[in-house]
Amino acid sequence: MNWRLPLLIFACTALIAGAILLTGTSSLEAVSTLVKGSLGSPSAIAGTLRETTPLLILGIAVFLALQAGLFNIGVEGQYLVGALGCAAIALKIPGVLGLILGCITGAVAGALWAIPPGWIKAYRGGHEVITTIMLNSIAGFLTTALVAGPFKDPAQQSPTTAILQGSSRLPWLYNSPELQVSTGILLGLLLLAAFAYWLRNYVAGYELRATGKNPRAARLAGIDDKRVILRAMVTSGAIAGFAGAVQVLGYEGRFYADFSPGYGFTSLGVGLLAGSNPLAIAGSALFFGILGKGSSSLQLLGVPKGISSLVLGCSIAVAAAIRYRRLADREES
Amino acid sequence: MNQTVQFLIEVVALSAPLILAAMGGYFSERSGVINIALEGNMLIAAIGAAIVGQAFHSPVLGLTAGLAAGVLFSGLHWVLAQIYRLDHIVSGMAINAAAFGSANLLDRRFTDPRAGELPALPVWIFYTLAILLPFLFNWYTRSTRGGLQLLATGGDPVKARLMGVSTVRVRLAALTVTGLCSGLAGTLLVANARYYTDGMTAGRGFIALAALILGGWRPLQTLYCCLAFGALQALQIQFQGSSILGVQLPREAWYCLPYLATVIAMAGFLGRTRAPGGLGRH
Amino acid sequence: MSGIQKSFGKLRALARVDFTVEQGSIHALVGENGAGKTTLMRILYGAQSPDSGSIRVFGDPHCFRNPAEAIQAGIGMVTQHYSIILELDCLQNLALGTEVAWRFNRQALESKASELAKRMGFEFDWSQSAQDLTPASAQKLEVLKLLWRGSRIMILDEPTAMLSPADSEALFTSLKTLTAEGSTVILVTHRLPEVLAHCDQVSVLRSGEMVLESAVAATNMEDLADAIVGRAFTPTTTPNSRAQGDVMLSLRDVSVRGYRGDLAARGVNLELHAGEILGIAGVDGNGQRELVQAILGITPLAVGDILWHGRSLYGCGGQERIRLGFRSIPEDRLADGAIDSWSLEENAALGLQRLTPMASAARIDQPGRRQAAQASAKRLSTRMESLSQPFESLSGGNQQRLIVGRALALNPNLILAFQPSRGLDLEATARLYEEIRLECARGASAIVVGFDLDELLQFADRLAVMSFGALHLPEDGYCRDRATLGRLMVASQ
Repeated sequence: MNWRLPLLIFACTALIAGAILLTGTSSLEAVSTLVKGSLGSPSAIAGTLRETTPLLILGIAVFLALQAGLFNIGVEGQYLVGALGCAAIALKIPGVLGLILGCITGAVAGALWAIPPGWIKAYRGGHEVITTIMLNSIAGFLTTALVAGPFKDPAQQSPTTAILQGSSRLPWLYNSPELQVSTGILLGLLLLAAFAYWLRNYVAGYELRATGKNPRAARLAGIDDKRVILRAMVTSGAIAGFAGAVQVLGYEGRFYADFSPGYGFTSLGVGLLAGSNPLAIAGSALFFGILGKGSSSLQLLGVPKGISSLVLGCSIAVAAAIRYRRLADREES
Repeated sequence: MNQTVQFLIEVVALSAPLILAAMGGYFSERSGVINIALEGNMLIAAIGAAIVGQAFHSPVLGLTAGLAAGVLFSGLHWVLAQIYRLDHIVSGMAINAAAFGSANLLDRRFTDPRAGELPALPVWIFYTLAILLPFLFNWYTRSTRGGLQLLATGGDPVKARLMGVSTVRVRLAALTVTGLCSGLAGTLLVANARYYTDGMTAGRGFIALAALILGGWRPLQTLYCCLAFGALQALQIQFQGSSILGVQLPREAWYCLPYLATVIAMAGFLGRTRAPGGLGRH
Repeated sequence: MSGIQKSFGKLRALARVDFTVEQGSIHALVGENGAGKTTLMRILYGAQSPDSGSIRVFGDPHCFRNPAEAIQAGIGMVTQHYSIILELDCLQNLALGTEVAWRFNRQALESKASELAKRMGFEFDWSQSAQDLTPASAQKLEVLKLLWRGSRIMILDEPTAMLSPADSEALFTSLKTLTAEGSTVILVTHRLPEVLAHCDQVSVLRSGEMVLESAVAATNMEDLADAIVGRAFTPTTTPNSRAQGDVMLSLRDVSVRGYRGDLAARGVNLELHAGEILGIAGVDGNGQRELVQAILGITPLAVGDILWHGRSLYGCGGQERIRLGFRSIPEDRLADGAIDSWSLEENAALGLQRLTPMASAARIDQPGRRQAAQASAKRLSTRMESLSQPFESLSGGNQQRLIVGRALALNPNLILAFQPSRGLDLEATARLYEEIRLECARGASAIVVGFDLDELLQFADRLAVMSFGALHLPEDGYCRDRATLGRLMVASQ
């Protein structure tokens, strides 16, 4: 009997319940508020979908890297440079062309931002986690400086770009006063479907998974594992940059300082929670989307926003513990 | 002259939290446990010190609470990484997230912005510790049995076990030290500012990690890196707004330097440093 | 040690082995790979427990549950995997795990260590980092570590494998000093010249049985070689020594670096003809691994050239060679040949993932892959429930059957098999070679690296021996002669 995993789940649940209790709310009330705030009304649902979109696309980026055996903690930075790059182009070029070029620019910027960690990992043996953490900080400073400098809208007090006009925004998928759904979520779902199909049905996807699972066997199978690692990192970065572009074109309509409320870190939870099934990314992104939206309603109840971070930490720990349990069991026997 | 002394004090003040956190990272990583949770440890220690210090109007109790919080979260890292065999990176991420969340919750619930300045120990105590600890740790790893076991565990846990070293226990001890050091660092932040703000660590835990890597996982070199980072920051404050060679650099350019240096070092352009061989291994 | 018996599953590793060592002697334990030497020694120093039998050390009965208890009783072993930690310096490595005080008193320890080293005729710069040690010094440090821990019986597993002849001589000189002081050395080795020159007693193990125990003075090279490889069973079935086809693969003066940077394979010349099975015999670790990897295009050549149908393979990567029809049966199926959590179907495509029935252009051809996988599994009758079950759920033998089937799939032209019968029973082994021969009849050729001379003699057309990185091709007429091959295997440089 393995007591460890149940104990961990129990401890995490108790921790979260205790944290809610600490704020003077009952757990039941908290959960019902969370559900009502995220799914209880059309506008709540719209907000949840909005929150889910970047998590979904970034989750794909994280998942892809994980499949190649990489922790792309750098999605946060790649997301930021992608968003700024997209905003800069879409502001210059209006209309559909601007939309397309904006998405491409976002993806390219994200990909470029992922080259150093990918190259260092593949050919220099430097751990990608350390380099991506560093590049996240640099991306934060860089985009803040740029949006306060050359890209700043002179008409505004705060560091932000100008707002994109209607024709430069992604169209609404469904638009009524209560329920506005952007095509952004659709783009995310399409990307997920394409990615899942690619991973299953393309030789490159097969080789990516082989490299992630067993690089030695991959090398013997004629796979250039170093090139696969570099490509996986760069592709992951491109998807993260694309997520930034969708956020700008679909929702925010501009880029500003402190653009990401930590989506990059939450999406690591999304990718880890999805396990080995790419389609599960949609579910785990929705889970964290509900949590993100719902926790804003919880704030009205006096439960601070931090609760969602706490849940994120606990879910990462539990998801990883489930994944590594087999390994630990095997080592013990 | 006076200005130079002023500047040096400023450098020490700015680098002290980095040094303390980096020394925490030193023990952890030298025992083979990758630690990206320094940031979270610091933050939870800061909020702990702030709440308890305020509640009891006692800087000593505040410090104790800060240290205890740091040790608690560092111990959690040990539990997840050693008992649950989680990947050290995943465990560190989980702990960072939990620490950010908990600190935010506790802040909203318990700190009172109207209470005025928090009680705090004089900061020179922390500064002195920050300068002395690297030398102490340097001596410890070279000249004691514990230090030898630490190096052996981090170098190759499997072989160390073969030679009769209890690597699980060594790592528990190492992570306790990590908790104490990062707890000190977090408490220092509160002592310096005299109030707590959400997310007040502002990436210092990651800069400390960068310094540790740039210093090649050696205490004295890490100290120098932290001092260099502190000096950069002090210079930035001094030259803020003024232009260098006709170009006015935004302050973000200064902030980037430590991170940029680390990435370049990781690419092997600053000479190869040897990471502990047992990093991340069981 | 008397009546030691040990089985792993159905495999009997040791059959009631008696082994007696006199105090103050250097006792050699020799035998082929898999003869049971390592198992016997692991039992002696507590890393494994015997199924039955007893151990007496200096007359007292002992039963070691772990190496720590064996060390307590004065038994220590130096394995081929060093216990030296690269991060530490020499003195730290020496003292690790034996410190008594909390303070690591360098000066006191250093003088004690120097004294010990001097007695052995060694010299160390104690503050030198272990990663800068030469293999010879590392070996000496390992011996010192045992002495430091008060070992009176020392087991050395292939201590000279990485030493130059001069260093080996020096090591034996110090071992003799040791035994003169009353310590005992058990030397596990393949090198008969060493045994004859330096040891007092010798025991020979063959497939789990003690076949010879003698004083070294009372034996000679020929007797020992015969005892090691055995002469009881000479295969009567001589595989077809048919007319040789065209030269398919030729190796010209090929040298390959091992992972330590030294030349693991040196100046290998070979011509492989269409339709033949070449067996490469030899003791493990003599460069076979590196040579095979070089032919597969995974490790670059240090010197020389490999030609395929007369054209150089220089610059031709692993993937392209697979397209040319190169297939491999890797040595360690789990580490190198498969992904254990994947399905059988996915594993059956590993390495062949870009070839025609498995894929069309960039896409995986699912039905084609299933059919090919089915064929690979059928080739050696892999027992399975379905192709979608995970690889790890198969037994070791069935895993190997699938791996072999995969290497024979999709018209191979060159089959590189490393210990292909690992995990297979006799019947399956025969099937394996039958199937390889079938492909050879079609025009392919095969190289089989094996450590079991009998198996190679039985199934290969021609044998070569690899020793110390060199490939020896016996003259015509002798390439199937057991005595010649045995001598080549154990001869020194």
